[in-house]
Amino acid sequence: MRTTDMPRLHRQPICVASALVVPLLALASPPWLAIDGVGPAWAVLWLLPWALVDGPVSGALAGVTLGLVLDGLNLGGLSQVPALFLLGWWWGRLGRRAAPIQRSLNLGLLAWLGSVGLGLSLILQLWLRQGGALDPLTQSWGLQTLCCQALVTGLLAPLLVSLQLLLWRRRVPS
Amino acid sequence: MAPTLRPGKSRWRGLGQLIPWLLLVVGLLLVRLSKGAGFSDAYALLSRPFWPGSAQREWVTAAADLEERSRLQLLERDNRRLRGLLELQQKGLADGEVSAAVISRSPRGWWQQLQLGKGSLQGLGPGDAVLGPGGLVGRIASVTPATARVKLLTAPGHEIGVWLPRSRRHGLLVGRGSSRLSLRFIDKDPDVRPGDLVATSPASTLLPPNVPVGVIQSVDEQAVPAPTAVVQLIAAPEAIDWVQVQTR
Repeated sequence: MRTTDMPRLHRQPICVASALVVPLLALASPPWLAIDGVGPAWAVLWLLPWALVDGPVSGALAGVTLGLVLDGLNLGGLSQVPALFLLGWWWGRLGRRAAPIQRSLNLGLLAWLGSVGLGLSLILQLWLRQGGALDPLTQSWGLQTLCCQALVTGLLAPLLVSLQLLLWRRRVPS
Repeated sequence: MAPTLRPGKSRWRGLGQLIPWLLLVVGLLLVRLSKGAGFSDAYALLSRPFWPGSAQREWVTAAADLEERSRLQLLERDNRRLRGLLELQQKGLADGEVSAAVISRSPRGWWQQLQLGKGSLQGLGPGDAVLGPGGLVGRIASVTPATARVKLLTAPGHEIGVWLPRSRRHGLLVGRGSSRLSLRFIDKDPDVRPGDLVATSPASTLLPPNVPVGVIQSVDEQAVPAPTAVVQLIAAPEAIDWVQVQTR
């Protein structure tokens, strides 16, 4: 197969090492990159270009790995692993099937959808943990956090994801 | 010389000489009845330029502060002694306190936590109470040798037992994600109203006793099975750079 001969992204240590930025940024959580105190989904911003360049299997594995690392950094029983796994798989398939996605609006929209999916999965887990019922205060907090995070992620994606795509596609020409 | 035909005239003259003395007596009686109000007011008016200035007022304020601090120390000492008699937690607030810097915070996201720059090497452990300016902020959930992770009171599902000093009732404070928390009562009639202080229980052994937590914002009397209240936290984790950890 031609694809097995191609230099894949996950075989390049510098590209794999770039994933370390995600937990560091999640810990730093710069307040000037937040809306109402809610920062962007850094995992989504890293995973989107990775999956688009490296395919569904690599995207899903990267999603699971990132999710496990981030779950270790965060308290509580909510996990990002399922959402990141599905997003990595979906974005990998998009990158393989369609023409290369590189327009700012498309990238912003995909990141926005990914952040919404991630937020919904967390709200769903919270709902299940609280016995299938969410009180009004938690509901309003969950929706507000979801909206703020999706907005700031969607706004940052055209800048950051475009840059990552540019760098990684140079290393892995299709 | 012939005697006068109007003998009363000399009597009236005698009375006229007495009038000033009578007025003096009436005046003195008025002074007595008014408790010297006129004298006091006159004295105040005359002595106004010599009244104590701002310097004296500051001295008095400083003395009052000192008196209050001394009284607080005495009360704390007394409180500690009584706690010792009751075999409750004997540590006061000044004992076992470790100051720690906040090195990472996410007070408004999905995970509401702080990361502190001190850990098990400095004596911190899971369950320790974390205090900020204003009151209780949260509890340590996990520690590494050099860091500690604090679960904020606002985190969804985080529960602690609290005490209402005015009505002397217990309640369960539950985090709801936002800076407003939900307070559940056990009693049907908790006798609570907006503005009441919420603190940790004076008999608490898990948390430092009598630490302010928040203020009741509103009360839902119709909630079932027991009334609930919304509590606004006093300490704001968004603005805290240093915290005090009460080690156990």
